[in-house]
Amino acid sequence: MTQLAQLLIQIAFYTLIVATLIGFFRLVRGPTVIDRIMSFDAVVLCAVGLIVLLSRTWETSLFLELILIVSCLGFFGTVALVSYLRRTLPDPEEDSPETEAKETRKEPRP
Amino acid sequence: MTPFIHLISAILTLCGALTILVAMIGTVRLPDVFCRSHALGKGLTLGLVLLLCGLWIDLGSEAAGLRIPAAIFFQFLTLPVASHLGASLSYQKRLPRHGDPRIDEDPRLERSPRP
Repeated sequence: MTQLAQLLIQIAFYTLIVATLIGFFRLVRGPTVIDRIMSFDAVVLCAVGLIVLLSRTWETSLFLELILIVSCLGFFGTVALVSYLRRTLPDPEEDSPETEAKETRKEPRP
Repeated sequence: MTPFIHLISAILTLCGALTILVAMIGTVRLPDVFCRSHALGKGLTLGLVLLLCGLWIDLGSEAAGLRIPAAIFFQFLTLPVASHLGASLSYQKRLPRHGDPRIDEDPRLERSPRP
């Protein structure tokens, strides 16, 4: 029974590692900047999940503050970047088809 | 009794990890910022809460104290807020959406007729 639990924990480790790599893929390739911000948040939370698994493997409760702090840092990073981009990204123009057509010919937004 | 508790905790942990994997696959497969924020906001919340519940069952309440419920409450508080902030910013700034010709990521979207 305990060996089965160990096997399940190992499968969970590999699953979270694959999820982190997928998050890095979206972080590199994201077409807009908000994709990158949110996938970075997701990568941080996958790291939190790996810390949870590590603390479950080693049977310690020393890492619980680390869980709180790392998830807190990810959330505040997301909020700070979003409020910065809310000021600096250019506002959309009025909803006329000409400006829309002009915008399609311009460079795509970051 | 203890092996059953270990097994239940391991099953909860594996379910959480699989949910997080499904959420990350959603960020790769879905075509849009809004769809990706939907996948992240729901899947990551459920996955992390399941992982923390597995840890809580495994450690026991006297070793863990009130820190794991605080962490669970914090995940429920912050993850939907972060996802909603990203989605509302991309709606406000009119970032390209699904079906928009400015998206050139998936070539199948270009060929499909716009509604």
